[in-house]
Amino acid sequence: MTDPILSLADVTLTLAGNAGPVEILHGISLDVARGETLGLVGPSGSGKSSLLMLMGGLERASSGRVLALGQDLTAMNEDALARFRRQHMGVVFQSFHLIPTMTALENVATPLELAGHRDAFDRAAEELRSVGLGARIDHYPSQMSGGEQQRVALARAAAPRPHLLLADEPTGNLDGANGEAIMDLLFGLRDRHGATLVLVTHAPELAARCDRVVRLADGRIAGQDVRRAAE
Amino acid sequence: MSVAVAVRIARRELRGGLRGFYVFLACLALGVAAIAAVGSIRESIEAGLKREGALLLGGDAEMSLTYRHAEPAERAWMELIAVQVSEIVDFRSMVVVERDGETERGLTQVKGVDAAYPLYGTVELDPPMPLDQALAGNGAVMERVLADRMGLVPGDQFRLGSADYTLRAILLREPDGAGDGFGLGPRLILREAALEGSGLLAPGTLYETKYRLALPSGADLPALEARAVERFAGKGMRWRDARNGAPGMTRFVDRMASFLVLVGLAGLAVGGVGVSAAVRAYLDGKTEVIATLKTLGAEGRTILMAYLIQIGALAGLGIGIGLALGAALPLAAAPLMQAQLPVPVAVTVHVAPLAEAALYGVLTALLFTLWPLARTEEVRAAALFRDASGRVRGWPRPVYIAATGALAAALIGTAAAFSGVPKLALWAAFGIVAALGLLVLAAAGLRRLARRLARARMVRGRTSLRLALGAVGGPGGEAVSVVLSLGLGLSILAAIGQIDANLRGAIQQELPERAPAYFVVDIQPDQLAGFLERLNRDPGVSKVETAPMLRGVITQINGRPATEVAGDHWVIRGDRGITYADRPPEGTVVTAGEWWPEGYDGPPVMSFAQEEAREIGLRLGDAVTVNVLGRDITARITSFRDVDFSTAGIGFVVTLNDGALSGAPHTHIATIHAEPEAEAAILRDLASAYPNITAIRVRDALDRVAEVLSALAAAVAYGASATLVTGVIVLIGAAAAGERARIFESAVLKTVGAVRGQVLAYFALRSAMLGAAAGAVAILAGGLAGWAVMRFVMEGSYAFEPVSALAIVTGGAMATLLAGLGFAWRPLAARPARVLRGRE
Ligand SMILES: Nc1ncnc2c1ncn2[C@@H]1O[C@H](COP(=O)(O)OP(=O)(O)OP(=O)(O)O)[C@@H](O)[C@H]1O
Ligand SMILES: [Mg+2]
Repeated sequence: MTDPILSLADVTLTLAGNAGPVEILHGISLDVARGETLGLVGPSGSGKSSLLMLMGGLERASSGRVLALGQDLTAMNEDALARFRRQHMGVVFQSFHLIPTMTALENVATPLELAGHRDAFDRAAEELRSVGLGARIDHYPSQMSGGEQQRVALARAAAPRPHLLLADEPTGNLDGANGEAIMDLLFGLRDRHGATLVLVTHAPELAARCDRVVRLADGRIAGQDVRRAAE
Repeated sequence: MSVAVAVRIARRELRGGLRGFYVFLACLALGVAAIAAVGSIRESIEAGLKREGALLLGGDAEMSLTYRHAEPAERAWMELIAVQVSEIVDFRSMVVVERDGETERGLTQVKGVDAAYPLYGTVELDPPMPLDQALAGNGAVMERVLADRMGLVPGDQFRLGSADYTLRAILLREPDGAGDGFGLGPRLILREAALEGSGLLAPGTLYETKYRLALPSGADLPALEARAVERFAGKGMRWRDARNGAPGMTRFVDRMASFLVLVGLAGLAVGGVGVSAAVRAYLDGKTEVIATLKTLGAEGRTILMAYLIQIGALAGLGIGIGLALGAALPLAAAPLMQAQLPVPVAVTVHVAPLAEAALYGVLTALLFTLWPLARTEEVRAAALFRDASGRVRGWPRPVYIAATGALAAALIGTAAAFSGVPKLALWAAFGIVAALGLLVLAAAGLRRLARRLARARMVRGRTSLRLALGAVGGPGGEAVSVVLSLGLGLSILAAIGQIDANLRGAIQQELPERAPAYFVVDIQPDQLAGFLERLNRDPGVSKVETAPMLRGVITQINGRPATEVAGDHWVIRGDRGITYADRPPEGTVVTAGEWWPEGYDGPPVMSFAQEEAREIGLRLGDAVTVNVLGRDITARITSFRDVDFSTAGIGFVVTLNDGALSGAPHTHIATIHAEPEAEAAILRDLASAYPNITAIRVRDALDRVAEVLSALAAAVAYGASATLVTGVIVLIGAAAAGERARIFESAVLKTVGAVRGQVLAYFALRSAMLGAAAGAVAILAGGLAGWAVMRFVMEGSYAFEPVSALAIVTGGAMATLLAGLGFAWRPLAARPARVLRGRE
């Protein structure tokens, strides 16, 4: 692995809990290769979401270094991080986080617009159709089911064709058929555009399709399964 | 349903404390406090006026006559019922000072007093000395404004009519000053005896005599009044007594307070919008709790009851705080009021105004919380499984709509009944409701437009703008409550701004253009020819109008007492100027009936002002009895005519045929229209040729009126500022309520690649749109209100006043912007993960 797209070196994360500071991640070191699909698994509360946030620059590491595409995320300010994500990253949250005052189309078009695409709305509509939501374009989040919202969130993250897609349980709320479709979408992104995927999941089918699975326990890396070496 | 269960639920929910309810409490407390304070101050002043009635009046009772002194028999009757009688003569005149060949003239209200004056209280002078000493011989005292204007200091000489007087001291305070009412000139006091030889009280001159009576203690005032009225029937006597020592002042304070209460109610309405928004937001946050309770088997009514109890308890707290503030404020301000007001003030806690304010508070709280509360009944358990944030839409059940109507009617009815100015209160309520309606429409229109624009091609690529449009147009009630609360506050301010500017404009610019330069009174009949001759050959004079004038009281209409027929109409209140004419004066427009033939000398006939006749309900052929100089003249109305009182020209309500009055001693009045450059010479010549006449410079008089108006406008502005403060609180509340949503949005936007500048621009644009919509409605509503008041209340013309309007809109937009940005700071600084994690 010569040129990792993501590289975490001895990263810790401490949060201020009610009973004083709590160390949530303890000295995590991890590299993700370009084009790799990495699965993060582990029991609830083991720190999967927290690690994903750190990779996306959404959380600042308490110590250690997070390099993405060779740039040190820990040294960037908020605006630099935002611009970095705009160009290189897509994030799908465990609970979607759509903006409630925007329709599905507007939610998806926003990152495209921020990235300066003139045809943001057309592309957004196209993206929604590809996740099977062509008929829900003008619906507000409160008018959609959980699974539908999840697909909008995925479309929002994937539409700008990021180099790196971070997804927190992307199939968590979906039935078999829809979950299958989302997985196809995710892996299509990798196959067609060479995107790197980091997926948090409890679903064995999804984990099975990953190149490598990292198991977290108690904020530490407890083990790895390599299915397929990254090329 | 079970009340006990409801109470238990309410108690548990209230354990959460007052968080989220500060705006609710502040809005109610502020509105109630403003109304309670105004009412308490009014009560304090009125109690003071009542307690000190005799002092203000200058005696336990006063009998006044116009144009004449009491006859010896009348005087004897007064002495009979009183312990002591003091005689005063009151008239307008001009102080003349000659210095280095220049002559200065100043209008003054002269009070000639006898040795018994003042019966009660003392006259304060500077330098301090007994009044006796100051008035000895040809001594006089005057108010400082007059002395300063004339360049006089104690010891200096001046002239009044054709006699000379010495200024001995400056008049600081006359005990009966507030009871005298509104004078056009500053006060001057001298001995009545010293007026002999001044030529000022010649027959027909406009003067008034007042006989102040010190009555034995325990005198029965109503009985004495009845006896006096009977004894002096048809003699033109007016009675006042200590029960209402300063009726003008009482009326003024009453009106002022009513007006301020209306402004306070407007503030409460603004607060009501905030209250409503706060309750709505609170209950929206409770959707899940309510749905859960329903799943567990609670009935809609129990839940409604539980929240009604909660909101009721909180409203009680808010109203209580308001009442405490409203009662405490006048107490705290008591020393200031006692020093600043020319009247005695009895400051204590007055219960009636507090009860009134509390009633307004309860009605407002109920009115504005009923709908949001009603919706709790409609939350279905399914809300838990669908979207918990989804609001219940549509109209509440008819019961609640009816209840809302009843509450609104009760509130408006109470205001109309208590304010003492029911018509104004109804119009004000109509204005507020109309403004609210306009604002609801504007908010809905804005949301529609924003939603549509957000889809438009032209905003694509302008992310911040599109986001702002989307947020204004999207789901969520913030847009409506901001536009409503801010818009209503701004509308009220804009209306006051428009009315104030127009009134000022009317007094200071429009009127003087059409108004004469001078108004001259007390021209003796034998002086008239010379007077006119001097003016007619002056090229600077464009127009002179004169008319004979007497003063008289309308005592009967068709044989019945005038007060029975016309109530409290101003035409029959006190004495009026009355004129006579053979031919209709130039420019007369007879609107009904016919003017009497030239040289008519039959029984008395009368022409009456049309507008006033209509108000009183007079018809052609009615018999009106006028008491002039103690003599009753009964005349038939043969015509009505247009009289314009708005131009400060000569306008008489009553004109009699000349045979009816020309025999009575009278003087003439005149109006002079002249070039400003010619004014000084005219005044000099006329005043030296006819020292007894009084020339009132119309501009000076208008300035006095403008001064009074400024004071009024200032008082109203204080009242309105309470409204504005409420508006700002509501605004801040709305911004604070939106903060959580802002924090979340900003975290998500940053995640998908927005930099802080873009997020900030989005927040700013959103606030600016809401502020601008509120401001635009405010200009429209303010303009309409200004127009309506000027047109229908003031019967004047209206011109839009852009400066205050613009200032108000800018202020409104700035306020929303600042509130919005103030609350945007935290969201922008926060790390996305910290925010989003909390919502997982
Ligand atoms: N703000 C916070 N302060 C302190 N501790 C926190 C905070 N947020 C989360 N934690 C703790 O950090 C740990 C890791 O949380 P994280 O959300 O990363 O877990 P996870 O592996 O994603 O779990 P799940 O599978 O349930 O989503 C948990 O034990 C959680 O209780
Ligand atoms: Mg998680």
